[in-house]
Amino acid sequence: MLDSDLERTIRADGTEVITDFEEPINDRNRVAPVIEFRDVHLSFDDKVILDGVSFSVRRGETKLILGRSGGGKSTTIRLILGLLKPDSGQIFIDGEDITDYTEEEMMHVRHKIGMVFQEGALFDSISVYENVAYRLREQNVDEDEVEHEVRRMLRFVDLEDAIDKMPAELSGGMRRRVGIARALVGDPEIVLYDEPTAGLDPPTARTICELAIKLRDLQDVSSIFVTHEMNNVGYLSSEYAIINHDGEVVFEKEGERLCLINTEVIMFRDGKVIFNGTDEQLRSNPDPYIHKFVYGKN
Amino acid sequence: MNPLTRFIFELQEISVLIWRSFVSLFSAPRYVGEWIRQMDLIGVGSIPIVLLTGFFTGGVLVLQTFPTLEYYSIQNESGRSVATSLIRELGPVLSALMVSGRIGSAIAAELGSMVVSQQIDAMRAFGTDPNRKLVAPRLLALIFMLPLLTVAADIFGLIGGAIVANQLYNQDVSVFVSSARNGIQVEDIIGGVIKPIFFGLVIGSVACHKGLSTTGGTVGVGRSTTDSVVIASIWVIIFDFFLSKALQYILDIGRI
Repeated sequence: MLDSDLERTIRADGTEVITDFEEPINDRNRVAPVIEFRDVHLSFDDKVILDGVSFSVRRGETKLILGRSGGGKSTTIRLILGLLKPDSGQIFIDGEDITDYTEEEMMHVRHKIGMVFQEGALFDSISVYENVAYRLREQNVDEDEVEHEVRRMLRFVDLEDAIDKMPAELSGGMRRRVGIARALVGDPEIVLYDEPTAGLDPPTARTICELAIKLRDLQDVSSIFVTHEMNNVGYLSSEYAIINHDGEVVFEKEGERLCLINTEVIMFRDGKVIFNGTDEQLRSNPDPYIHKFVYGKN
Repeated sequence: MNPLTRFIFELQEISVLIWRSFVSLFSAPRYVGEWIRQMDLIGVGSIPIVLLTGFFTGGVLVLQTFPTLEYYSIQNESGRSVATSLIRELGPVLSALMVSGRIGSAIAAELGSMVVSQQIDAMRAFGTDPNRKLVAPRLLALIFMLPLLTVAADIFGLIGGAIVANQLYNQDVSVFVSSARNGIQVEDIIGGVIKPIFFGLVIGSVACHKGLSTTGGTVGVGRSTTDSVVIASIWVIIFDFFLSKALQYILDIGRI
């Protein structure tokens, strides 16, 4: 960095403060959205999947996407990865307009994104180790580093014991966790979760949510979390992770003194965004459809 | 969609699939390990069924034609009749059909289950082009291995024919061999090796396309598998006719 990038100011108490000129730019980046949809439309044959969807995800923010099955939630995620292309509208990732990117151009965008698939989508012909190592292998990273990374990620999801197992030997919850470990290799800035807790028992689902909270609060990951379970909304929008004095990660609930603002909820209905706001606003929304979705009854 | 539109649409999809895989061979990453693994699975793995098919087909050809040839007192030409029909026609077609059943179905089922369990999406999401990693190695393996398997089937067919002629009709092996050698020309062999190259391409591209376009869960996988074998087999037989005609014209074979 050039010395001219640094601004020196002398404070009243005589201490010198050096301000890095690059910092304000980074700060501006924090406000600029990491993911942005602008009036996205998509239909398959005659079926309208997304009908003018616009929303954005800021850096370090988690967006919970709620909605009934088949409401366009998973499609949204596939659009972000470029696995599908919209009929019209624009999609921005990190300020780049990826709408018309070719498959080759998408490859470098995808390096920034980690994806957790519905059922894990582990490659079942290779071991857990190779699954997690997949992305590094594609980048020809040397073996020592691969092993180090794989172990670090498996430790993060608390599955280091399963390293030599085949995906078929794992339970549903373990498969999702390996899927999360695989998505996190290479420390992506964006992590997309496609119904990661569907079909899991409550404690396992809670574990998955805790992993997402840890990533959000301790690693500054921006994410989209697609779900239709209100439990997940409760965990993710009202709890945060901190490291206590003993160096352990603990989860605390928001309260009178602190309200989480890094998690918001979007709700889809028939391809349209019908709600976009905080969980408190969601719970007090008078719309009968939303009320029924949140509380399960009118 | 009417059947004609659907057919043209699928033809386009298959052409694009073949083109993309072909182009991917000229740039990194190349997954050479995967090429070799597929050649082993497809080529070496199919040896037993192809050899058995060849052996018994050669045998039955002699069994059925020998009495007729004897009726015309040209039983010494039994080697020629077996060699020409095997090398020009039955070797390539039967090997292709056997491989279509064994490999085409396996490819469609494997790729189909990868689609329905989102493994193909995962692959793309992690920056791998499925054409490069999955389709190209399979096409390459089929195009290289099917001609070799065909040659092996031809040889075993001739052995089978010689054994039947010798054991059941008391013909001297040397008579059989010399008539076989007189009966076939270099052009026959070239034609017999060119055909399986095309058949390999047909089987591989149909199976990969059917597998990758699977929809509708496990039922869809079953449907893709069946479709792939049926469609590939029919196209092998249709292609065989036109290829034979083209080869007759180009290599000037089959006139006598």
